[in-house]
Amino acid sequence: MRLDVQVAGNRVTLAGRIDDTASLAELPGRVPAGEIVIDTEGVTFVNSIGMREWIRLLRALRDSGRKVRLERVADVLMTQMNLIAELAGAVAISSFHAQYVCPACGAETQPVVEVTGSLTVMPALPCPECGSAMELGDFPERYLTIFKA
Amino acid sequence: MARGKLVVVHPERKAQRALHRLVGAAGAPVEIADKLEAAAIDDSTIVITDAALAPSLTRPPARAWIAVPSEGLAPVDAATMSALLAGGWDHVIAHPMPVLAEELLATVQKLLRRDVFGLEKYLTWSADVRSYTLEDAQDRDAVVAELAREVIMCGLPDRISSMVSVIADELLANAIYAAPVDDSGTRTRAADPRDKVRALSGRDAVTLRWATDARYVALEIRDRYGSIDPTAIAKRLSVAQTSEGGMGLPLAYACCNQLVLDVAPGKLTEIVALLDVRFKPTDLSRAGSFHVFRGEAP
Repeated sequence: MRLDVQVAGNRVTLAGRIDDTASLAELPGRVPAGEIVIDTEGVTFVNSIGMREWIRLLRALRDSGRKVRLERVADVLMTQMNLIAELAGAVAISSFHAQYVCPACGAETQPVVEVTGSLTVMPALPCPECGSAMELGDFPERYLTIFKA
Repeated sequence: MARGKLVVVHPERKAQRALHRLVGAAGAPVEIADKLEAAAIDDSTIVITDAALAPSLTRPPARAWIAVPSEGLAPVDAATMSALLAGGWDHVIAHPMPVLAEELLATVQKLLRRDVFGLEKYLTWSADVRSYTLEDAQDRDAVVAELAREVIMCGLPDRISSMVSVIADELLANAIYAAPVDDSGTRTRAADPRDKVRALSGRDAVTLRWATDARYVALEIRDRYGSIDPTAIAKRLSVAQTSEGGMGLPLAYACCNQLVLDVAPGKLTEIVALLDVRFKPTDLSRAGSFHVFRGEAP
């Protein structure tokens, strides 16, 4: 599935693949002035070319003085953004998906983590299958580095 | 005929014993030394030493140097890993036991046998190896999609399938666009549009093989140029990533637990990426192991 871009008012929804075929350069011009909210929950794949395109989008929005807020950031995008030094402390994120595992039943899932205040530790979340407390399935810094200025 | 000599250099007796046991399984003579000055090292020697001590060593010429996490109880930390990659170490094993034992023995045997190519060296006999040959540059997406589907069919979680997809995509792109060079070493396909049709035949042939033995998922991508520069790659992996250029291999490295570059210069590059599917990521090292082997093309 190629990248599907939906714009509704100031809200942008991305779904599919952010890869060599994705072009985000025109996106800022399609969204009314003011804050832009980008929802990437439906993003399933990001490669290095796609990541470069995504960062160029964020940089262009920042350089034009527009506020950007990311919602429900897909796990695959979140972990890759945390690898990029220039994004640390530079992006407003209100929620994101993260990899959790349930030690009781073995379920692996990617629930939404809500960001309230300054996020310094990953929260414990209930397993959707058995209700037990799930653990983060990866190193915390793979999600939290981006919140550090 | 002696295939080489193994030397364990470590100041602590307990660690010496542990490492002796691990590499002793290779069947080559093993010598133990408390410190580098006491070790007899020549160009047939494979030296195994503690990663924590490694950055400060002045290494005399040897067949190979392997840095390992001491007794294998704790992983190599990310800062040490970066220092060793930047310092030109060809073999850094990052993970604690039992991964250390498997990885160290495979590394030592590849060196001793001078037989470096093939993902089978990291898998048990029971693994079913599947193979794809890309016939056109545009086959990349379809092959990656098929690979992801097969990984899910094996019962592996979405997390593994997602990482396998990223690794395969990046390594295939590297083989298709970065590997081809002309006689002067110029990378002739680096600027090709990614939507351009191009037959991959003859020297441009690119293959992907993969398998799992329920311990690892192993991916192997080959090109016929042998043009990769392992030293430059290691340096690139050792630094924080930026958004512009050269992100592909660092991204593949970040997604796997072990990245292996096998090179027959001018003839063949094979990159093997291994994901450990037994353990949670947090049970292993934050940074993946890294290996460079140079050998004859099969």
